[in-house]
Amino acid sequence: MKMKPIQIVCAVAIGAALLFCAGCKPKAEQAVQGEPSGKPSGKRKIAIVISTLNNPWFVVLAETAKARAIELGHDATVFDSQNDTAREAAHFENIIAARYDAILFNPTDANGSIANVRKAKAAGIPVFCIDREINATDAATAQILSDNYSGCVALGQYFVQRVGTNAKYAELLGIVGDNNTWNRSRGFHSVVDRYPGLKMVAQQSGEFDRAKGLEVMESILQAHPDIDAVFCGNDAMAMGAYQALVAAGKDKQVKVFGFDGAEDVIRLIAEKKIEATGMQFPKTMARMAAEFADEYFKGRRDFPQKVPVQVELVTQDNVHLYTGYGRKE
Amino acid sequence: MMKSPQLARFQSLIALALMIIALSVLSDKFLTVGNARNILLQISVNLCLSVGMTLVILTGGIDLSVGAILALAGAVAAGLLKNGIGLPMLGVHLEFTTTGAVLAGLLVGLVLGWFNGFTITRLGLPPFVATLAMMSIGRGLTMLWTGGFPITALGPSFGFIGTGYLLGLPMPVWICAALVALFHVVARHTRFGRYVYAVGGNERAALLTGLRVDRIKLGVYTICGVLAGVAGLIVTARLDAADPKAGMGYELDSIAAVVIGGTSLSGGRGSIPGTVLGCLIIGVLNNGLFLLDVSPFWQQVIKGIVILAAVAVDRLGTKRA
Repeated sequence: MKMKPIQIVCAVAIGAALLFCAGCKPKAEQAVQGEPSGKPSGKRKIAIVISTLNNPWFVVLAETAKARAIELGHDATVFDSQNDTAREAAHFENIIAARYDAILFNPTDANGSIANVRKAKAAGIPVFCIDREINATDAATAQILSDNYSGCVALGQYFVQRVGTNAKYAELLGIVGDNNTWNRSRGFHSVVDRYPGLKMVAQQSGEFDRAKGLEVMESILQAHPDIDAVFCGNDAMAMGAYQALVAAGKDKQVKVFGFDGAEDVIRLIAEKKIEATGMQFPKTMARMAAEFADEYFKGRRDFPQKVPVQVELVTQDNVHLYTGYGRKE
Repeated sequence: MMKSPQLARFQSLIALALMIIALSVLSDKFLTVGNARNILLQISVNLCLSVGMTLVILTGGIDLSVGAILALAGAVAAGLLKNGIGLPMLGVHLEFTTTGAVLAGLLVGLVLGWFNGFTITRLGLPPFVATLAMMSIGRGLTMLWTGGFPITALGPSFGFIGTGYLLGLPMPVWICAALVALFHVVARHTRFGRYVYAVGGNERAALLTGLRVDRIKLGVYTICGVLAGVAGLIVTARLDAADPKAGMGYELDSIAAVVIGGTSLSGGRGSIPGTVLGCLIIGVLNNGLFLLDVSPFWQQVIKGIVILAAVAVDRLGTKRA
């Protein structure tokens, strides 16, 4: 008997939710059915599909793309794939059904996302890939890509310059199933492996995660207390590794190298606590993608398939030119 | 009734001993004071969560929301400490001391944990569903609170919780040791503790004997929430940053530790010392795999096999008993 009022509240809430859904549905269908063949020029609907919003770097990417699209006079909606190709596929199906006019796309997987892009292409919706590529050159309208490999070649060269050719170092890899993890690692090793005196004593995954980076670094320090440097596949892990070094009192002994250009790493480089990072330009890439979509609406079709966006080396010497996720403007 | 948890504990103890012997042979870096301290530090967060999880599982329930509560508690404490909070309606801006921020973090754990208990006991939802929903709500609230960005540079007085030392041991280890001792006593030597076992052993019988099953469950989920809050404060202090995606997947690590430690997922059987052993087994394994520089691909496979083996041995043992 005591449960009654709560049951009533629940029933009312569920009823209201159902009514709300029922009220929404015809509208959505109407939008799909009532699509005129020739649209009025001007305001278009842009979908921004992002691999994950659980990482500030991608939040910057999504927010900048959205802001630029709105600036150009369009509507923009952000979809979060939560690093899951299946969820991403569902987003694409909804986007196609709701007749969006363009998709700014940050893929979750270089191979797994190809089918989604093809589906959109078949439905006549242009897709512009941002930051991460798909392993197909005939599906997306254009791909604006961060040059991870070359960025890490430059980082590797600076690493050798700072650490010397006779030293022990550790590497923190990103998520082991991710293309960027290996593009970065390969770029770095293409330089560093040429010096036999530079010994990698540990290579472990910190999963692009700050807490994981901290834990892995703590364990590595137990096994190899005498390392001279650590190369981290992203800045979140670099921050975690740095915390572990501070706690162990080894932050002066071990030189930290990151990748991304995140705000706190830029700050620590300026304070001469971290050596260097590779600055990617999420804002530049996101803006370019929104502008490409706008140009597409206006009739442009001759987009290059791949537009590499340079990664810049940020060191203690040039850090004053940079801020989090870009150059100072 | 009293025999089987002890037996399970005995088996986990043997497993742990075997692992320690094997790793000491394989790596000369393993059996050192520094590394032992390191392992204790690294299991502290999981242990904190697992103590609460043990109580929940003893009642026959489950809590999938601890990772999300951890993240929100850490984020709220860090945000209040760093930026305070503005109350536009009253026209004031509240600043928080470290103590205030810590209490706020614990309060977040308390409220969310209590809400879990509320939906389970009063609305009659299955614990799996109620806490799965809370996991999503907690994650969402964390993203709303932080905007998706980590809150960093929290200062040394807050950092002491995670990085400070007392008598040669890190603070998180002391905090966990205190919680383990407290809740072991609660589970074994108080009426509340006996009721927790009774509810998990046979909920219907407990109800018929006049136990206030709902109150006990509400208490257990609230405790679990508060402990997740403690874990959140430790993680945040250790990283000197509240990461919005902190604690992702920790609920599963915690359930694994409880199960490896011999607590039955159907409730009524198990113990907190068993869970300590479970956490130690996972911690030693993680640490050992790093020290031996085992490939990250293999590490996941090996961890899964150890969980299977531990639980299989436990099952065989209880069948025979």
